[in-house]
Amino acid sequence: MIQNLLNAVVLGSTYSLIAIGLTMVYGILKILHIAHAGVYTLGAYIGLYALYAFDNNFWIALVLAMLATGIAGVLIYRGMYYYMLKESRIVPLISSIGLFIALQELFRLFAGPYQKAFPAKSGFPRVETSWFSLTSAQGLIIVLTAVSFLALYLIIGKTKIGLGWQVCEQDIDMAGAMGVNVNRSIALNFFISSMLAGAAGVLMALYRNSVYPTMGAMVSYKAFVVVVLGGFGNVTGCIVAGLLLAFVETFLGHLEWFEFPRDAIAFLVLISVLIFRPKGLFGRK
Amino acid sequence: MRLKVASITVLLVALLLIPAGLAAQDTIKIGFFAPLTGFAAADGASALAGAQTAVDFINDAGGINGKPVELVYYDDGCKADEASSIARKLIERDKVVVGVSGSYSTPTRAAAGIFQAAGVPLISSYAVHPSITKAGDLVFRVGMDASTEGWAGAELVVKQLGAKEIAVLTIDNDFGVSLGEYFKERAEKFGGTIVFEKRYPLGESEFRDVLGSIKDEDPEILWASGYYAEAANIVSQAKELDIRCWIVGQEGYDSPKFVELSTDTSAYGTLIVTDLNRDSDREIVQSFLAEYCNRTGLDADMVGASAFDAVQVAAYGIENGGVTAEEIRDAINGIENFENAVTGPFYGFSERRVIKPITVQIIRNGEFHFFMEFTDPDIITPAP
Repeated sequence: MIQNLLNAVVLGSTYSLIAIGLTMVYGILKILHIAHAGVYTLGAYIGLYALYAFDNNFWIALVLAMLATGIAGVLIYRGMYYYMLKESRIVPLISSIGLFIALQELFRLFAGPYQKAFPAKSGFPRVETSWFSLTSAQGLIIVLTAVSFLALYLIIGKTKIGLGWQVCEQDIDMAGAMGVNVNRSIALNFFISSMLAGAAGVLMALYRNSVYPTMGAMVSYKAFVVVVLGGFGNVTGCIVAGLLLAFVETFLGHLEWFEFPRDAIAFLVLISVLIFRPKGLFGRK
Repeated sequence: MRLKVASITVLLVALLLIPAGLAAQDTIKIGFFAPLTGFAAADGASALAGAQTAVDFINDAGGINGKPVELVYYDDGCKADEASSIARKLIERDKVVVGVSGSYSTPTRAAAGIFQAAGVPLISSYAVHPSITKAGDLVFRVGMDASTEGWAGAELVVKQLGAKEIAVLTIDNDFGVSLGEYFKERAEKFGGTIVFEKRYPLGESEFRDVLGSIKDEDPEILWASGYYAEAANIVSQAKELDIRCWIVGQEGYDSPKFVELSTDTSAYGTLIVTDLNRDSDREIVQSFLAEYCNRTGLDADMVGASAFDAVQVAAYGIENGGVTAEEIRDAINGIENFENAVTGPFYGFSERRVIKPITVQIIRNGEFHFFMEFTDPDIITPAP
């Protein structure tokens, strides 16, 4: 039982870590940033090649992947969304889907279509008790996700960056008029949310021991379920929703007679929640 | 203006016609399609490498009746609609003599009907769906049938390993479900009991919950269908949860990627019911394995070997039959003890589905090795 709960926490942490970037971008720009899933895959690949270059050192791989994806996020904003801010929201959405597909094929062209193993050495200990066991990768996921969320809370609540985001979220034109550097604020938002996606990519690569061009496919839709469940743009809601989804999946997955595919459970949960709470579990009125 | 349009039209028509006309005289064209992009791109790349290896072997040996073979190939993205238009393109524009599918069941089913209707033979490499060969008298398969693969699994588990309590984990697609039915039917007939059974979707990577339930049942064997990515997660997570029973897989596991993607030594000791015996002393097997590795930098898998064999059978049909569909069909139907196949020898075809030995491989020190082989006709002849 405890083992199952822990497995669910690990799974839920990865869902939240990916979804949180989406919810941040949605909060500030009201864009459904599908290409986030491509950024996540990019993180995994950068991490993989960093492992090759730096003797399988997990920590160097993580840092490099986060930096690279952060920069990639800013480039996606400045190179693409920036020119679409005045358009209907459908324009950035379609562009984002296009970019995601293009990224997947680019990864395939550069790295080949095959799944690659992720031979990282982190030195993180394995926890073994009579109640449960946590592998090194599972422990890392829980700890690093917790650290990321804490850091994010501090940024949002205690810094001018976070204040800037909150102002932009309320009314982006007004924020500009009030002297907030809107472009910098959005760019920072993309930098940090993409860094988290990059970290999620590296952690998932470690957890599943595999990196491949279409690994973002699940992310591209399931993370959105988490975003909607959490109430669009709500960071806390997003974390809770990720964990909740993982608990439901793990519980139902444990039942022998329940043969509904795991990825469909997300939508089942989504539909049942939306019937009663159209704004999501933690949506603001 | 009108003259300009007319001359451009003539030029375009001429351009379209010339290469087809030239090629028809010089080479024998074999059409090929596989998923080179999208989620199945890895299998597509393997299949293409296998097919090209076969073409090179044939051409190095002097071609077919002195004419070189040309492989005309397209990417179907693992989509049925793409495969249909590719089938038409291969037949109408490229004028291929035979088609070879290096793709999954869904695209192959779509193409099979078109090849059959156009009167061009099609050979499926590894797509398993039973309806493929039912498209008509011109559609063949060189990969294992779901029935023989399931039966061989039951023989192995119950008769050879003596296990009675069996947990079954099935990948929820054409391949897994039909395979699972044949496996369970024979396993129960031999006195085995299915103590746990569950399906999971393609691409699943989290098995800890279902493996936890399996651990509670404490079976003697876990028989799990799936492809190498799912399989790697199954054995890794089973090891993590300290599940110690035998794990038996099938051809979907048959890739060096299975070992690479599973953590540490968790794949070691896994038994795999498949058709590629890497320890075989047959010369064609060893030269194929060497050439495939040389060409791709990777060790060969079942998919590459099956595509190789499909092209070899196509070439045999043309060489010993002729260029018309009926001649090729009759030549392939007449095959006996065909040694040029890596997953062979092919003893013959039953309703256009191959009869060939089934091998069990075991992962030892990270490599595939021979465990045992089935040649009993009762096991290896596909179900009617």
